[in-house]
Amino acid sequence: MREERASFWGGLGTAVPLVLGYLPIAFSFGVAATRSGLSVAEAFALSLIIYAGAAQFLAIALIAAGAPVAVAAFTLVAMNIRHVLYGPALMKRVGADARRQHAWAWSFMLTDEVFGAALGALARGRVFSEPFMFGLGLGAYAAWLAGTLVGAYAGAGALDGWPAVSAGLGFRLPALFLALLLSILQRAQLPVIAVAAVAVVVVTWAWSGTAGLLAGMIAGAVAGVAGLGRHAE
Amino acid sequence: MPGRSQGLRGWGGMRSEVLILALIVGACTWGFRYFPLRADLKDLPPDGALARFLSATGPAAIATLFVAEVMPLLKLPLTGLVPLVAGVAAVVGVFVWRKSAVVATLAGSLAYGIAFALLG
Repeated sequence: MREERASFWGGLGTAVPLVLGYLPIAFSFGVAATRSGLSVAEAFALSLIIYAGAAQFLAIALIAAGAPVAVAAFTLVAMNIRHVLYGPALMKRVGADARRQHAWAWSFMLTDEVFGAALGALARGRVFSEPFMFGLGLGAYAAWLAGTLVGAYAGAGALDGWPAVSAGLGFRLPALFLALLLSILQRAQLPVIAVAAVAVVVVTWAWSGTAGLLAGMIAGAVAGVAGLGRHAE
Repeated sequence: MPGRSQGLRGWGGMRSEVLILALIVGACTWGFRYFPLRADLKDLPPDGALARFLSATGPAAIATLFVAEVMPLLKLPLTGLVPLVAGVAAVVGVFVWRKSAVVATLAGSLAYGIAFALLG
């Protein structure tokens, strides 16, 4: 396979599908944030500083519910712990000698989709480079920030006259998680996924949605330690 | 939460609690993304408890998030489930076809919106 030059601009080009995906999701985040009582500045700060879509949507709910900062922070940090997997997986793909001098900067932008896009580009013959990661990451990050701003400024009533569009945008997040799940799905992981699904349903019904999230993730991971999904990569 | 301190015009101000929350979560998330990049995991036993925990955390987290997002939709009346079925079918079908999470996400959202409009 021909190896393509992995430049900053090549990374930006690779980010185009992410831009198309991120803009409407970030827009719906901005709308949801202002609908829940956050200001434009607060919505933008969540996107600028956290930059993790699912955690940001949950942050809106926790802030609107008046959850204490410590409880909200613990919940959101626990939600994002899956990101520890992406760095080692990426480095395993590109090799231990890959240059990582500026990883402290581009790793901030290593979201679920950026990780997937990077692996896909490498599989198609791109050569790993830090400029490529900066291009890929900054393209997606800029789209996320722009979408958030437009959505937040559009405000809670932006889609009142467009219920079908609002419904479709509201399904973006479940659709994204389902697609991500499909992208990593292996037969050996099915028991882990089943345990997590059962745990989140039971604990959410018995206690609360936040507790259900934590229970699902922890139960699934413990199932992995117990040997279920043992051969999953 | 207490009232906002007023900031730039049109931005609506910023509550300190929200900023602190964003900084804590943002710093930890950055740490999750960066430090494993620097770690030398060559000596990590591939079948050890930590390796299995890390291996299972990703699918467990994403499955949990998906189920948590879908649960409120299951409480809708029967006609409200049609867009959900259409959306899920579109995500699965397009992902199998294109192997792209982004395209599958967009297709699922589009199918959900169209089904919603047709039932509306």
